[in-house]
Amino acid sequence: MSTTYLELTNELLRELNEVTLTVGTFQNAVGVQQHVKDALNRSYFDIINQEPQWPFLAVDESGETDPMYGNAYVQTVAGTRWYELKPSSDSITTDFGSIDWDNFYITTVGVDGETAPYTARNLRFLTTEEWKDFRRVSENLDDADTQQYGQPNAVIRSPDSRKFGLSPIPNKAYRVWFYAWALPTKLVNHGDSVVFPEMYTSVLLAKARYYIWQFKDNPQAAAFALDDFKKGVRSMRSNLIEAAPTIISDDRMRFV
Amino acid sequence: MLAQPGLATKLVNFEVDPDGGYRRVNGYTPFGDTRPNSSNKILGLAVYADGLIVCSGTGIFFSPDGEDAWLQLNKASVAGTGDNYTAFTGRSAAARTAQAQTSFAIFEGNTDYGQIVITDGVNKPFLFSMTGTGGLTTRTFFAEEVTVSGTVAPTVCAIHDQHLVVAGAGAAKNTVYYSTLLDPSSFSGTGAGSILLPDQVVGIKSFRDDLIIFCRNSIHKLININDTNSIAIVPVTQNVGCLSSHSIQEIGGDLVFLSPDGIRSVAGTSRIGDVELGSVSRQIQSIISAIARSIDSFTITSAVLRSKSQYRLFYTTAGGSTAASKGIIGTLTANGFEWSETLGIQASGFTSGFAATGVEKLYHGDIQGYIYNHNTGNSFSTGGTALDINALYLTPHYDFGDVGTRKTLQYVKISVTPEGEATPTLKIRYDYEDTTIPQPPDYILADIPIPSLFGSVVFGAAVFGASSDPMLRQAVQGSGTVCNFQIKSSDQTAPYAINGLYINYVPSGRR
Repeated sequence: MSTTYLELTNELLRELNEVTLTVGTFQNAVGVQQHVKDALNRSYFDIINQEPQWPFLAVDESGETDPMYGNAYVQTVAGTRWYELKPSSDSITTDFGSIDWDNFYITTVGVDGETAPYTARNLRFLTTEEWKDFRRVSENLDDADTQQYGQPNAVIRSPDSRKFGLSPIPNKAYRVWFYAWALPTKLVNHGDSVVFPEMYTSVLLAKARYYIWQFKDNPQAAAFALDDFKKGVRSMRSNLIEAAPTIISDDRMRFV
Repeated sequence: MLAQPGLATKLVNFEVDPDGGYRRVNGYTPFGDTRPNSSNKILGLAVYADGLIVCSGTGIFFSPDGEDAWLQLNKASVAGTGDNYTAFTGRSAAARTAQAQTSFAIFEGNTDYGQIVITDGVNKPFLFSMTGTGGLTTRTFFAEEVTVSGTVAPTVCAIHDQHLVVAGAGAAKNTVYYSTLLDPSSFSGTGAGSILLPDQVVGIKSFRDDLIIFCRNSIHKLININDTNSIAIVPVTQNVGCLSSHSIQEIGGDLVFLSPDGIRSVAGTSRIGDVELGSVSRQIQSIISAIARSIDSFTITSAVLRSKSQYRLFYTTAGGSTAASKGIIGTLTANGFEWSETLGIQASGFTSGFAATGVEKLYHGDIQGYIYNHNTGNSFSTGGTALDINALYLTPHYDFGDVGTRKTLQYVKISVTPEGEATPTLKIRYDYEDTTIPQPPDYILADIPIPSLFGSVVFGAAVFGASSDPMLRQAVQGSGTVCNFQIKSSDQTAPYAINGLYINYVPSGRR
């Protein structure tokens, strides 16, 4: 098996009985060789699109700051409702790929100047409709008048998905923890590697093969490759995402 | 491709095998260990008696094997009754001052080896003969310069109908002289004479009952040379001339020669009388055109390899290297002439002929004065050092019947006839050798089984049961809309013949 972009490309080229690429010829490949490179990237994104919250896309290791739950946080400022999920990003193309909106957590732990007893709570996800119907007016009037604010207890998503909002508007600095998944980076250079474990490159190759057989006007082989891909993705999902055990206990008693 | 023979766009150091396929040419080996006249350029060669006559520098030399010293033939004052070896070698040399490229004609007569006439266009014709069949020291030698007319020094000579015919002298460019009947040394006796033509004579060749006279811009034939009443010059064509007398050869019942528009046959030209239609070298027109453009800078030599039905012509530049020297090979097949090129054979002198034993001998000499046994061995040579034979067989670009479809090649089967251990290389290029797409690597065909022929191989050195024409299967990579194949070698291994290629491919879409 192989993991680098060059190795993956050459594995497919060998399978197709085509001339393989070298480090020197990789960058400026044309024709079939370039199509194989393109097909790999397309397939790579196809796998990501199947499930944006693949574990291997997590932006950081979970629970790195024990006992916080999440792998990213944003620190609030008193009187500010909206925060960019990824402050270092200036475009949606570089934002996080996916957010677990049901796992927001707010705390004063870690905030400069804060000491025990700390405050902490889960933030309930509030739809924009709920928030605007029941909270927005009062919070905005408070902001424009006495500026009492409060400890947030709900999180809302901005319509462009680039920001989260807190309700009520924070009355001081907190840390808001959440789970985020990154966008994958397109494979460009010969040494670029895919982000998932090597055992799943067969799924990537299957989808790439699907595109290549289409290119070569071989719909039957393309169909076989697509079937391989679908089975492979199912396995990936089963192995990586749906691994939680489900136990059904039956405590009914029957007396005869 | 097995079903379509004769497909090649380039054949370098390959020859069309009369047995089928394209065969890498033989090399050449030194003729003895001694050069006839040091580093003087070889000006002409002729197979004579049981050895070889060589013109080089200001001398004419003979040797049966090229070993030790060569016997100088251009001697003065040789007795009319002949000299023995001691007397002959003791004579002073009659220097062939400024000797140029020479022509030869042998008047067989009633002697052991016949009389050989040598003309060079600078000196008077030189007549030499030798009798005796024992060792060289036991033989009798005859040598003299022949006076044609004053100081006339013809460039070409031929024996025709028992006459020696000479022509092309610088002082009489359009005059053909013929000798007395049965006496090539006399141009003043009964039956001798001369005849004028309207054009300058380039070459002459006896062909059946006629003497064909090749002029610069026309071709004629001399008929009835033995009948003073009806002797005449009859024009063959007024449209085509000959570029070099040294290109004229008889092969396949016809005369071929180098004309400005190609290698032409006299019969074809005579019959058709046009500029183009008599050409037999249309396939290599670009090469012929290049030769014709620079004809004055080349030394042209040619000969016929009778055993192969081959016409070979070499064109050598004055200071060119051996490795860069070129020539052409025309093989007469059932489909006419098929052509290939040579690279690495420098032949400022070249001859083929039958030795006294009746065996065909082939020799060539280069501008460094070396003499070689032509068409033998597995290497070329320069200055006594062996050179690799660089051979190349290039096919046309094949679209396999549909140029729009991409074909993925899987393997090539090559029918090879190896004559010994050979390791040619297969090279495939797609899409007209497009340099922007990755092309497959060269495939070295290293596992060609050497045929095991009873009585010719040594036990343990060959493969038992190997075919004489093994079919080699070579897996290949790549795809394209068109592709071509090169089989090449650059080594000193035995020759091999490529009989055909079978290509297995899969159509892979039209994108």
